[in-house]
Amino acid sequence: MMVDGVTDIFRRVLETGEVGTESDFFALGGDSLLATRVLSAIARKYGVELSFDDFVLASTPGTLARRIASATP
Amino acid sequence: MRVIVVGAGLAGLTAATDLAAGGAQVSVVEARDRVGGRTHGIEVAPGSWVDAGAAYLGERHTELNALLAELGLKTTPTTMTGESRFALGHGDQTRPGRFPPLSAVALGDMFELLDELTRTIRLDAPWLTPNASYLDSVTALEWAQRKLTHPDSQLFFPLFLGEMMAADPADVSVLHMAFYLSSGGGTRYLNAFEGGAQQDRVYGGAHQICEELAARLGDRIRLGEAVRAIRQNSAEVVVCTDSGELRGDVAVVAVPPLLAQAIDFTPALPVRRATQFTRGCAVKVHLVYPGPLWRAQGLSGWSVSAQGPLLSTVDDSPADGSVGVLTGFVTGLQAHRFSALNTPTQRGEAVAHAAHLFPDLPPPIGFYVTDWVHEEYSHGCYAALFGPGDWIRHGPHLRTPHQRVHWAGTETSTEFFGLMEGAVRSGHRVAAEILTRHYSLGGTA
Ligand SMILES: Cc1cc2nc3c(=O)[nH]c(=O)nc-3n(C[C@H](O)[C@H](O)[C@H](O)COP(=O)(O)OP(=O)(O)OC[C@H]3O[C@@H](n4cnc5c(N)ncnc54)[C@H](O)[C@@H]3O)c2cc1C
Repeated sequence: MMVDGVTDIFRRVLETGEVGTESDFFALGGDSLLATRVLSAIARKYGVELSFDDFVLASTPGTLARRIASATP
Repeated sequence: MRVIVVGAGLAGLTAATDLAAGGAQVSVVEARDRVGGRTHGIEVAPGSWVDAGAAYLGERHTELNALLAELGLKTTPTTMTGESRFALGHGDQTRPGRFPPLSAVALGDMFELLDELTRTIRLDAPWLTPNASYLDSVTALEWAQRKLTHPDSQLFFPLFLGEMMAADPADVSVLHMAFYLSSGGGTRYLNAFEGGAQQDRVYGGAHQICEELAARLGDRIRLGEAVRAIRQNSAEVVVCTDSGELRGDVAVVAVPPLLAQAIDFTPALPVRRATQFTRGCAVKVHLVYPGPLWRAQGLSGWSVSAQGPLLSTVDDSPADGSVGVLTGFVTGLQAHRFSALNTPTQRGEAVAHAAHLFPDLPPPIGFYVTDWVHEEYSHGCYAALFGPGDWIRHGPHLRTPHQRVHWAGTETSTEFFGLMEGAVRSGHRVAAEILTRHYSLGGTA
């Protein structure tokens, strides 16, 4: 499932196992620099290039996975 | 035991303090007519100071925080509220937060690559990093040309490196870049204000740390005496300045590597301390206004520009609210260009740039340029830059005593290299090294 893939990316970038579907990236200590690394990983994995503003509006694995799905051609 | 410490920066004074506490008879010799080295305060309004040199620290800088507490100095958060300004070549933009209006995926690709590199570094011995000989043979510029394909990351990379380590990418090896980022706690920690290396400033200015240490050391410190030569034999070490000689059992050289290399050692050093090293190039500009006027427009004072002179600006207004201070950083190639201009031209360029970034700013009521590129006794800043070959050639010897001569300074610390924290750690390390060696050989105080 895409949401699991996104959760894994969050875990790797945030260096914590404590990430669930509804965990907010910024509440877990993420910042804009780390957010770009998530977006880079998503682009490589799913071929979807999101902007930083997209990410701010969808900063949990669940919402971000939906955002990716809706952008996938 | 008589110990002579060369250099009254954070490293030298931390070492002197520990050594004195350990029972040694300490003298400190400093070339400048002030203590502090790469920390220096400017009084921009009566009783209000800004940092012309080092300014910021974070929670992971544990030794520095402990020292501040010991000296009764407080910190103040650098909290920024408001929007940032960006002049990155697509027209000026105002945006919330510090994220530049560039492709997030392209910058993310770059940070992923940097993170991958940083992870491989052997922090205790960077020259033993897997693939070290390759990483030490390539400049950061060559690496970027090969790895960064998107114009946005190509644009941002030199700005990032300038901000992080005051380096032009052509001047540092990939090994040094990755080592530096790793040593400081990784790109995220080094880059961040809140929760990162720029979380706090020293209330009233970082220069007070060395001033407080010096006040406690009293007349053990001699100012205005540059050390030119150090001789030693089996009985003693002799430190020579223009005005005389000091004799001791041990010496600590706590100056940047290029300056240590300039001292005439007898017997000669078995390995040079520096060859390819270039100077970090940083010029700090302070523009003083009657108040932090940008805040009224919802702006934080943070800006990033692709064109100089002020590649980035930050609100460094003193916490007492007396005046507003915009600090401009001029780094890398821009620093060389800017530092060659005369003062009126520097002022003209900086004031125009600030007014362009923050519309409606009146002319500043105060203007200060601190040019670290040409400071005779710093030889560039924030710290020494290791070029291709340097880590493998010099790294293993950075801390190896030359008989009675021991080494300190932020450049000898593999933890928080180049930062105040690294300097303080090196001071503790060298003092412990000397005290252990002395007492284990049956020495008495
Ligand atoms: C513009 C700028 C911004 C910075 N920003 C930060 C920051 O925000 N946070 C941070 O943690 N760090 C920052 N740094 C880095 C920080 O200032 C240094 O890492 C630290 O101060 C180094 O301390 P040190 O004791 O190792 O060396 P120094 O401070 O350089 O001390 C060496 C001393 O030796 C003296 N000396 C040199 N040669 C001789 C000689 N031959 N004889 C006698 N004395 C000699 C010098 O005058 C000097 O006092 C910044 C530096 C600069 C310049």
